[in-house]
Amino acid sequence: MTEPTLSPPPARDLCGTMLVHRRLLNESMSYRSQRAVIENRALQYEIGRLSSARRGPVTIPVVVHVVANRDHPEQNIDEEQIHSQFTVLNQDFRAANPDVSKVPDVWKHLVADTGVEFRLATRDPNGEPTDGIVRVVTDRSGFDHRDGVKSSRTGGSDPWPSDRYLNMWVCQLTGSLLGYAAFPGQPPHLDGVVIGHSFFGTTGTAAAPGNPFNGGRTTTHEIGHWLNLFHIWGDDDGACSSDDKVADTPNQADANTGMPTFPHVTCDNGPNGDMFMNYMDYTDDAGMYMFTKGQLARINACLEGPRASFLAARPIPEAARTDTARRGGGRDSVPDGEVERLLHDSERLTTEVLNDIRAALDTVTGHSRG
Amino acid sequence: MSGGPPDVVGAWLHSYEEDTETAAVYRPADHPFRPSRRPRRGLEFRADGTFTDLRPGPDDRPREVAGRWRSEEDGRLRITFPAGDGAPSDLSVISCADGVLTIAK
Repeated sequence: MTEPTLSPPPARDLCGTMLVHRRLLNESMSYRSQRAVIENRALQYEIGRLSSARRGPVTIPVVVHVVANRDHPEQNIDEEQIHSQFTVLNQDFRAANPDVSKVPDVWKHLVADTGVEFRLATRDPNGEPTDGIVRVVTDRSGFDHRDGVKSSRTGGSDPWPSDRYLNMWVCQLTGSLLGYAAFPGQPPHLDGVVIGHSFFGTTGTAAAPGNPFNGGRTTTHEIGHWLNLFHIWGDDDGACSSDDKVADTPNQADANTGMPTFPHVTCDNGPNGDMFMNYMDYTDDAGMYMFTKGQLARINACLEGPRASFLAARPIPEAARTDTARRGGGRDSVPDGEVERLLHDSERLTTEVLNDIRAALDTVTGHSRG
Repeated sequence: MSGGPPDVVGAWLHSYEEDTETAAVYRPADHPFRPSRRPRRGLEFRADGTFTDLRPGPDDRPREVAGRWRSEEDGRLRITFPAGDGAPSDLSVISCADGVLTIAK
């Protein structure tokens, strides 16, 4: 895709009030600082200075918010369509998807079972039984990229606590969007993924003839972002100057779309070229079928950093509680002490960063806090 | 382009499927576009002179950059951004009629 050519004459434009500017600056600084901490941790895992303490699969409780217009009942997708999405996720994130066999031989050794599984929540935030599905009828004809679906005040559905649930909003999206995500570090009320109902799961409205996004891979891709994976081309508009901060995915110029043919060489990445079958590229659903071990390292850094609460808060099945108590043990994937340490690290770093930001703002404005 | 400045006020999305070698085609944001995994670039021109550039972002949604716009001669639009948000730029409008905005590449 070629964008219009822009030519830069010198100019200076100061607009907006200082109040708005400060609010945006504050929010931006807070997010950017949190991102710096998260990326630092990811780098430690990438270069092997930290390694994952996880010893088994983790299951993420999910709440699906189905937000449907009252005059378009097809947007109120049925349970079969929702369950079909979970089938896809639990295959894709465990490298159990049938099409993983299509990975070119040169990259088969890089295929990763991420050990992450997803299931609909069985308890709501108050501990009451639930099917994990929240249905909201809205007057909105559709939602754009500006997070309106994430709040009842704007015709959407309020999130459940983002440290205990992955929030998935399913709705009519406008502007030809398939979905969008929140990287770790976003404010809790915006955390989660948003998916257009026609691209969620494999049945119902996703099964429309000619839909190339009918394989549930939009959600796989968006959860990849939620677990701190970047686009495989590095979001540098074809410049080859930035990559996805994962060593085992070749640097590539730009997004691939449709159904590319192997090999597709860019950025001097021959002879094998772009790893366009990676879930974090932009191909059609049928064209993406792998995560790599390097991406798994970033996922582990995320799960043991900003999303460590999902390791700590694993519910123990009722039947196993008595036995667990008798043995004096708990979770089977990560030792208790390690989880506590990870949580403590995460909280401490967050507090330090926020204190730094406040101090910096106070210095700039000359304001002194008590 | 002849006559007065082009009336580009509105929200436009890149209909890249219709691009030619020399021109980028935009249509109103409510146009029934084909679904696109690659976010469509957007241009929002408001009558009060404010402007929003919607650029594909790393989380699959457009990243908004606010600025200002004004008409110049020969169908050119001057776009400016607050310091640090991007260099000023020019867009050359080839035509804007019947719900199609065409800009020179």
